[in-house]
Parts: sequence; C-alpha cells; structure tokens
Amino acid sequence: MGKIENKFRELKAKKKKAFIVYIPFGFPSISLSGKIITSLDKSGVDFIEVGFPFSDPLADGTIIQKATQISLKNGVNPDYFFAGLEKLKSKVKAPLIILTYYNPVYMLGLKKFLKKSKDAGVGGIMIVDLPIEEAGNYIKEAQKYELDTIFFVTPATEFERAQKIMKLCRGFVYYVSVTGITGPKDFFIKSVLEHIKRLKSCTDIAICVGFGIHNREQVRKLTKESDGIIVGSAIVKYIDDHYQEKNFLNMLSTYVKGFQE
Amino acid sequence: MRMPDKKGYFGDFGGRFIPETLSFCLRELEESYFKFKKDKRSLRELDFYLKEYAGRPTPLYFAGKLSEYLGIKVYLKREDLLHTGAHKINNTLGQIFLARHMGKKRIIAETGAGQHGVATATVAARFGFKCDVYMGEEDMRRQKTNVFKMEILGANVFPVRSGSKTLKDACNEAIRDWVTNVKDTYYLLGSVVGPHPYPLIVRDFQSVIGKEARSQIIKKENRLPDYLVACVGGGSNAIGLFHPFFDDKKVKNIGVEAGGLGLSSLNCASLIKGKVGILHGAKSFLLQDEFGQIKATHSIAAGLDYPGVGPEHSFYKRIKKACYVAVSDKEALHGFKMLSKLEGIIPALEPSHALYYLKKIAKKNKGSLVILCLSGRGDKDLDIVREKRGKIKDKDKG
Repeated sequence: MGKIENKFRELKAKKKKAFIVYIPFGFPSISLSGKIITSLDKSGVDFIEVGFPFSDPLADGTIIQKATQISLKNGVNPDYFFAGLEKLKSKVKAPLIILTYYNPVYMLGLKKFLKKSKDAGVGGIMIVDLPIEEAGNYIKEAQKYELDTIFFVTPATEFERAQKIMKLCRGFVYYVSVTGITGPKDFFIKSVLEHIKRLKSCTDIAICVGFGIHNREQVRKLTKESDGIIVGSAIVKYIDDHYQEKNFLNMLSTYVKGFQE
Repeated sequence: MRMPDKKGYFGDFGGRFIPETLSFCLRELEESYFKFKKDKRSLRELDFYLKEYAGRPTPLYFAGKLSEYLGIKVYLKREDLLHTGAHKINNTLGQIFLARHMGKKRIIAETGAGQHGVATATVAARFGFKCDVYMGEEDMRRQKTNVFKMEILGANVFPVRSGSKTLKDACNEAIRDWVTNVKDTYYLLGSVVGPHPYPLIVRDFQSVIGKEARSQIIKKENRLPDYLVACVGGGSNAIGLFHPFFDDKKVKNIGVEAGGLGLSSLNCASLIKGKVGILHGAKSFLLQDEFGQIKATHSIAAGLDYPGVGPEHSFYKRIKKACYVAVSDKEALHGFKMLSKLEGIIPALEPSHALYYLKKIAKKNKGSLVILCLSGRGDKDLDIVREKRGKIKDKDKG
C-alpha cells in the first residue's frame, strides 16, 4: 500500500476528511517555499501538492500563473526541485504529491522524472495535460516506482469515462469542481455533491475535490460527500499578499486552519 | 497509411495532451467532423461560400517579371486575393459550418497577425455567432488595422498580457476560455496545431490550396512543379499546399520558417532549432530550454511568431518529406520589396519569408518550376515596414 492510501486509511479511522494544499515550488522564493511546506505540515495539512512549474500553465488562472512565473524566475529547474523535496523528506509527515504539466516531464525523461520523484520520497503524481489516452506508458512506469497516479474527473466527464479513469487512479481521484481554470470562485455545490455521490457508488478509492475552493463554507459542504478537499489559488494568493510580513508563517498557519475548523 | 491515425498521430507527432475537461468536447468535435465530411449538403454549401463569398478558386499566377529576374519559373498561388486578404478564410468558413452543425452559439479564436482573427470575425458576422478573439498586446500594437477590422465586424478583441504577449499566449488564453465555457463555445483554431482533431480539420480545409494548384499547374505547364514553397509558423498554408502533392514523389516541399534576428538569436524556427515536446495539446518540435520551458520567440511577422509548429510538419521533417529552412527579418523585408517592385503585388510579411527563399532556389537550380503560396496581402504590415525603413534610413545617415 502506498503512502497516500495509508494516510486515507488513517483519516478514515479518525472519521476525518483530507485537507490538501497546493504550493508552487520556488514561490515566493526557493528557501521560503521549503519553510512554507514544513509549516503547513505542522498545521495539520494531510497532503501537500507541490507544483513543478511550467511556463505555459493553460489550466491555471492568474494567481497560479503569476506564482509559476516567479518560481521560474527564481531559477527552479529539476535539480533544485528534487533537491528541495529531498531536504523535506525527513521533516514532513504529510505525503507529497507532484503536480505539473507534461512537457517538463517529457523533457527530463519520464523514467528519470519518476525515479527522482521516488528518491525524493514523493507519494503520487498528477499531470494536468496527460489524459488517460496518452498515459499508458506513464501508468506502467509509475507502478514500477510505486508512485500513485492521480487523474482528474470533471463535470464534463461522462459517467462511463469517469469509471474508466477511476480504475486507473491510485491514491485518490481528483474531482474538478467546475469546468474552468484554477482560481477562487463560487460554484453550485449541490451538483458537485450529486456527481461525487454517483461516482462514489462505483468505487472504493477516495475522491477529493479541488478548483475554486476559497472559504470554510465550501469546505464544510463539500466534505459531506467527498473524502477531502484541495485548496490552491486561495492559499497562493494569501502567501503572495502576506509573505513579507514579520509573522508570516504563523499567519499562514492560522489562515489554513481556518479552512478546517 | 492514412495520417493522422485514430489517436491523432502523424508518426510520433500530434496526439491529444489536454486537461480532462476538454476531452469530451474534442471527441465530440472529432465525431461531428467525420459526420460533416460525409454530409453532401453541408459540403455543397461550403463550396458555394468558398466560391461566391471568399473568391475561390484563386489564380495560379505566372510571375513573369519575378521569374525573369530570378532565372526560375515562379507561379504564385494567390491566396492574398481572397476575401479578408489571406488563406485563413478557407479554414474559418469550414469550421463555422462545423460549429453550426454542432449547435454552438459562441466562437472564440486566437490570433497573431490578426488575419485569423479577422477571418473568424468575418464568418461569425455572416453566420450570426457571438465572437471573442484573444490577441497578444504586443500583436495588437503592431497589427492595429486588423484589431479595428475585427471590432467593425462585431467581435470583441481581448488583449493578452501574459508571457510574451504574442500568439502563444493568445492560444493559452483561448484554451483557458474554452475550458471554462466548453458547453456553448466553439474554439475556432487558426492553424494546423493543437490537440487532435484540429491539425486534421485545418489541414483538410486548407488543402483546397494544393488541390487547385495541382490541377492549375498541370493545365498551364503540363507537368508537376519541381518545388513547392510556403512560409511556416503553425504551418497551415504550407500543409494546405503540400498535402495534395503527398504522393508526387519528385516534388520537393520547402517550408520557410521565421529566422527572426538570426538562428543564434531570437527566432521562430521550431523545426530547425527546436526539440520535440508538448505544447497546446500536441507533441511536435518546439522552441524550449533544456528543462522544457517554452522559449521567447521573435519574428517581424506576427503570424509566424510562435514557438511551436503543426505536428504534421514535424512528421514531414522526420520522414524527409519536406525541407525546412529559415529566413531572417531582414531577408523577409527584402522579399517584401522584391515582389512589390517587380510584380506590383504587396505581400504580407509572412509569405515574404518564402519569397526571399526563391533567391536561394534560383542560385542552386536555375530554370526550375516553383509554386509559392502567397498566403496573404501586405496591407496589415505597412506600419511595420514603414517603421523598419525609417530605422534602416536612420542607420544609413549615422
């Protein structure tokens, strides 16, 4: 059993839902993003999605686009990235999941990317623009390195296809709340809940919801049906607005806890 | 073998690398396209509009004075004479019928030079669609007239301020819009790039260029040409010309990429200087750094200013079906002047790249028979050329 599945089992025993946070690596700086990840782990975040930057993130809204640009300006490349994760390996309890786009993975070489991920103690991988049709080789190789492959299901995914995708998911299924790009927004929660309920009826794997989530109220409602929620842009924006303040890491911790209470 | 294959691959290139949200609509598009291709009534209607509205067939004009000057026999495929001034209308007419067929209400498009934007706004106006066009801020500045044209035609032009503020970023923004409004919106892509089935659809709609040219040259010269020459940004006019000659083994295809400021400086020569990667949904040659981050590009021709290229061109390169060369900004300006002065035809800066390359062909193979795709006219580029001429003159003074 992988790290991610283990963690879900633990959470289930405690009757808890997973709280997952997305952080672009190297934002606002390489050293600070390491500190942020450690601090999030201490604040009780269950999983941390670490973004490996790509210059053209076409599923991301302006907040993550900006963070990605900064991360690239800070010189993040595979060497820095994996060295950074390696350093966190012993310090951070929450399983780390890499979120990226396919081109940087392809350029480094799929096997090399997976091996480095494994060595850095990563639990799973999500590749935004690698749908199941193109993922055959990736799934096969990821299994060899015991890395979980997390795929996306969206409101635009037909039920039959969703079943197919869920069968290829390891760790959990990433349910995208809205058709659209990342970024805080209010959306119609009822239909998301109905969709998840239907999906849950035909799988045992955990289903977590992401995209657009920015307040406590959404979290409370969404965790009724889902096994966890993912917050990205809202936290990235918080970091961007506050990282220069003196008490920043404590403030961030309070902000993040605010989603879970 | 028929290309692309079922998964949208031309050999190793192409495919469908997209966020899951777009999967359904791309499969829907593919299915609708295959139905559309068999629907005789729709095809007849498309033919009608290509002929009566856009102005097809375009002449294959023997450029006698240019030929004499160069010492080769040059025929120009006059796509510049089409309605809206470039080959782009072949594709937008085709796709607007497809959008209607699919029951979509709103059209979005990306544009570089603005030619595709204008051609999209045109068909949207004619067939009653709401139309939003994404255009890099830098391109809006250098192609003002086209922005104004789109607005007159009733389209909204959204400036894109991310990244290099050119075509690549306009594509990103159009895709983001599409992901968000996928239900009612049709993404009318302007070149043979993007996820499957776009490279196939756009190639098919642009193939009218090569089909006409092939029968015209046989009528006029009673033989096939030695060379086909066209500029390549995304590569739609080039593939449109090359594709119908695919089985003609002796015809040499030459794709001319934008060499920009030079091959060791900023350029757009993806096939010459790029490495294989994934951008905007397809695997193809790409200008990127060693870590897979997309590089900044530059070309005097906004329509060629793109770090990628259509996957079918990558395939042509791999199997050596075409030869790809680069022509710099400066050389393109030379091509621009050459055609204007000798033939009284002001070309767009994009095909000016191809025009310049004729000189190289002339040097190697005197007397050869060439078809060049004159993909667009130069009205949109007058400001840029005026600006450049000013600079050149200033330098001369200094």
